[in-house]
Amino acid sequence: MSENVRIVEKEKAPSGATLIFGFPDVGLVGLIAASHLVDQLGLTEVAYVDSPLLPPLIVLHEGLPHSAMRIFAGHDIVLAVSEVPIPTDMIYPIMDALIEWGRSKNVKMMISLSGIPIQDRQDAVELKAFAAASSPETLKVAKDSGIEVLMEGYMVGPQAVVLQRASKYGSPALTLLAQCFYNYPDPEAAAEVLKSLAKVTAVKVNVAKLLEKGEEIRLRARDVMKRTQQEMSRMKKGQEYDIPMYVS
Amino acid sequence: MLEKKKRRSFDFIDAYFEDFERWVERMDEMFTQKPCWNLRNCTMEPLREINMTATEVIVTADLPLTEESTVQVRPIDNSLEISAKMRRKLRLHELGISQYQGEIEKFRCHVHIPVPVNMDKMGIKYKKGILEVHLPRKR
Repeated sequence: MSENVRIVEKEKAPSGATLIFGFPDVGLVGLIAASHLVDQLGLTEVAYVDSPLLPPLIVLHEGLPHSAMRIFAGHDIVLAVSEVPIPTDMIYPIMDALIEWGRSKNVKMMISLSGIPIQDRQDAVELKAFAAASSPETLKVAKDSGIEVLMEGYMVGPQAVVLQRASKYGSPALTLLAQCFYNYPDPEAAAEVLKSLAKVTAVKVNVAKLLEKGEEIRLRARDVMKRTQQEMSRMKKGQEYDIPMYVS
Repeated sequence: MLEKKKRRSFDFIDAYFEDFERWVERMDEMFTQKPCWNLRNCTMEPLREINMTATEVIVTADLPLTEESTVQVRPIDNSLEISAKMRRKLRLHELGISQYQGEIEKFRCHVHIPVPVNMDKMGIKYKKGILEVHLPRKR
């Protein structure tokens, strides 16, 4: 495990589950989707991320301290979620620790939930979702489920590390990306990515509440989005817009 | 000798840009260390973005829980004042803030427009709670 990052288990986390990541990123798609999963499936906190390299920050829930990066479990999934953006220089150590922890739990697949920003998002009637995978076999799972493949391009952020490491270890990993706003919280995109998750796993949740409460979620997510914007700029997230020059 | 001199000049430019980047970061941090809400006038600053193309400046703002009829965009010199009334008053504890008491009923912010524009040719669009203001650039 990464030297300076510890995954502290409060309860025994299940083995052989699907490990899902929901971190703050474009449109907060992953975080909003993860929060909805915790709420709808009644997932319980089983572990948290501890590191002296992280800012001295805790999240208070009902007067009690919690790590901002926690792991929830239930319904055959293990869900890693962060309520604050991961500092750019901590992405590798934290993701390495989480991936290593997941491998020690023999997770059957790792799935990152995130977004892919589009211009004139507010004019989009239907949002599309895309997938990228760590191997051709895993990519086939997404294709066979009717999810469009993100054929070329750059990926920046925690989900990039997951695919890179999973590919190296030969572990199955998928990234699901829903079209979204870049700088504004996007509950509709979170609903879309959860629909894609339901296609590739047995994790099926009703997204009606997410859509119904969309405006309130946007309001509550305002400050996390603002902090995330700053971190995305540090990690040069805009590179995802670049025209790729693929060397074959 | 000439090459050495050149290298020194490039080092100077690099150092200048590094200093500038640090300054921008510091300013950024400084201006974000305040709450987005103001209890005195019951307002919240919306998330907003400014984009520039060759022909126009596009300002967008995220205004959830608002009605289009209450949105106001007022040009003031080289900036825009954006405001919009929320459909209902929101108590801070509804937003998960329990250490302060108060209500938010309006979005309000000022957006500085960094290049000359024709304010009188401003175009406004509002969809799904996203305000979009188009300002043609002066030539």
